[in-house]
Amino acid sequence: MLCRVADSLFWMSRYIERAESTVRLLDVTLQSLLETEHSTEDIDYSLWRPLLASLGDQELFESLYTEKRSHHVTEFLLFNKENPSSVFSTVAVARENSRMIRDQISSEMWEVINRLYLFLKNSDPELITREMNFSFFQQIKEYSLLFQGITEATFLHKLGYEFIICGRQIERADKTCRILDTKRLMISMSDEVDDVVDTAQWAAILRGCSAYEAYHRVFADEIEGDLVKTLLVLSRDFPRSVLFSITRLQTALHAISKCPTTHFVNEAERLVGLLISRLQYSTPKDLAGDKVYPLLGLIEDELGEIAVALSDTYMFSEIVDPAAEVAETTA
Amino acid sequence: MFESDGSVRPHYKNLLERFNELSEDEFHQKKSAVDLSFLHQGITFTVYGDSESTERIFPFDMVPRVIPNTEWKHLERGLEQRIRALNLFLHDVYHEQKILKDKIIPSELVLGAKHFRKAFMGIDVPRDIYIHICGTDLIRDDKGDYLVLEDNGRCPSGVSYMLENRQAMKRAFPRFFPSAGVKSVLDYPQRLLSALRHIAPNGNPNPTVAVLTPGVYNSAYFEHCFLARQMGVEIVEGRDLVVSKDDCIYMRTTEGLKQVDVLYRRIDDDFIDPEVFRKDSLLGVPGLVRAYQKGNLGLANSIGTGVADDKVIYCYVPAMIKYYLGEDAILPNVETWLPFRDVDLKYTLENMENLVVKAANEAGGYGMIIGPTASKKELEEFRAKVKAEPRNYISQTPISLSRHPTYGDEGFDGRHIDLRPYIICGEDVNIIPGGLTRVALRKGSLVVNSSQGGGSKDTWVLNADE
Repeated sequence: MLCRVADSLFWMSRYIERAESTVRLLDVTLQSLLETEHSTEDIDYSLWRPLLASLGDQELFESLYTEKRSHHVTEFLLFNKENPSSVFSTVAVARENSRMIRDQISSEMWEVINRLYLFLKNSDPELITREMNFSFFQQIKEYSLLFQGITEATFLHKLGYEFIICGRQIERADKTCRILDTKRLMISMSDEVDDVVDTAQWAAILRGCSAYEAYHRVFADEIEGDLVKTLLVLSRDFPRSVLFSITRLQTALHAISKCPTTHFVNEAERLVGLLISRLQYSTPKDLAGDKVYPLLGLIEDELGEIAVALSDTYMFSEIVDPAAEVAETTA
Repeated sequence: MFESDGSVRPHYKNLLERFNELSEDEFHQKKSAVDLSFLHQGITFTVYGDSESTERIFPFDMVPRVIPNTEWKHLERGLEQRIRALNLFLHDVYHEQKILKDKIIPSELVLGAKHFRKAFMGIDVPRDIYIHICGTDLIRDDKGDYLVLEDNGRCPSGVSYMLENRQAMKRAFPRFFPSAGVKSVLDYPQRLLSALRHIAPNGNPNPTVAVLTPGVYNSAYFEHCFLARQMGVEIVEGRDLVVSKDDCIYMRTTEGLKQVDVLYRRIDDDFIDPEVFRKDSLLGVPGLVRAYQKGNLGLANSIGTGVADDKVIYCYVPAMIKYYLGEDAILPNVETWLPFRDVDLKYTLENMENLVVKAANEAGGYGMIIGPTASKKELEEFRAKVKAEPRNYISQTPISLSRHPTYGDEGFDGRHIDLRPYIICGEDVNIIPGGLTRVALRKGSLVVNSSQGGGSKDTWVLNADE
């Protein structure tokens, strides 16, 4: 497979997942904020600032908007073309990547990305952000899930497929961390968190990760923060948990190199192995209270390193001159 | 579609009967379904200098152009004769230059042509084929005769639209189409692939073939991908390729370097190798020309074919046919004046308001003026350009392109059309029965180029004459 194609498959998949995750993040945050505020328009900008900061977008937002009302924030995260991580921008980049490799992917895969792009392009940002439209979130999530299903059912489960999995799993693990992290931001927003609001916020996080039902099946209990963290970080069965996501990532990496998971042949594999054992040998106690937040930060950093190592190994391989190589080995 | 007396031409009778069964609403519904499917599949082209919606679907007209079998046979013979002569001409001008020595064509015209590549003098190309894929533009004059308007021997585009238009028509008229007796065009990718395999270096029976594209921002990118996918070969950009010290060309893959034997390139000469042509080109592959010259690469089309589709050289194609094949041209040219000759320059300047004047090396409907519709100021400006560089221009009598019923905003109406058949030259010459019929959608317009408001329609070559 061409290095450039591997790169495009990875980013096509990662950006679609990112569009979905951004919507999930926004959904969680809005739902939690609406526990205390009466309508989206009442939400003060100060309540949004922590989310923007955690996404690294606060500076950009403040430079683009003089007026900073709630719908400006949602407009910025969903539609703004000058925000490279807005849902519209990420879908546009995913589409560009898939356009570059149209001959490699199934026509159904291309069409669903193209339809998602046209859907966003033809949406009226004003209408959607003024009176926040939750069914709009739902539609974007469904497009992303449709893309995954179509990929599963129409794309050869060979080398290229594994690059798609890599892009998706890295992004998913990262965003599960960030969604969990929103809880810390919510705490800092309001001084007094009563139990009702607290539970509502954890419930919003579970819903944002599509984990509400899974939680109740696993714990059959009232919603408790520490159990939510356990499910979303350490579960070996829930498909959006961090451990589940990076275990799937490890399988994909080793399918590419054909090296058994007991060894490693490149830096990405080594880092993933380390991170997995760290989580495998963690207990709910390690996540209790505020202890989870530094761990989340560490996971996010590691995922960044893994993505760089993966790219170095397969996507920007040095130009090796075969003639020089032959000369070297015979010398 | 109609004779001059208004009666229906016999090969259209069947089609017209079927269309008469449809209400305007039904027809409109079919048309909308086709447009939407083109948009969803992303069958689009890019318009330069339009930042907001840079991608547009190529407007498709549902009324097919029908060509009876006998008429097509005539075209086939004419096109085959033409491509043979063009390939002999290219071999000659890059070797002995007999046609120049015998003064059939003034040598300064060839040697001074913008696309003449001196670096290729004396270089042998695989199987002596230079133009492997040719898209020759034809028009019909008021007597119904086909004339050659120009030869596109560099990187002719549009063939994917020919294939997609056919699919669209089959889907829109599933019951009628099978009974219409239309020759299939769908094996084009297979024929192209065998022509490409035919030019593999050293007769390699199992060569690695790839399509070389300038990338996703090229207006014809959809087509490059489409053809690669249909042929089942890799599509590569310049940055995917590297020429090593052994003068062979390799693709960079996740498993290391892999040799490429044949490239179907859709990048112009100027951009293909910064070591030889434009130094600032990032699209090309440094060393590609070296690999080609050393015989380690098959390249379609070859480098330097642009000298044959220069609009001035075009005028000499009938003479080439006579010179190399000893035959008279089956398909005539449009009558053309060459301002590099003083008499023609005078004629062109004095009669510009009645002529079409074109730059010799521009395409896409750019660099031309249509005298009868141009303003006085435009005519004056163009006169100055022609006077400054007479070698770079030709002039022709405007041919009133034949008109064809077309479905537009105001229902059915006549619009001007041309025809671009695709000729593949490999082990044999293959002409795909059909081609791209382009239509000027703006009423009265003579410009059929997609960049300037043109659209296309399916082209049906019948198995019979009715």
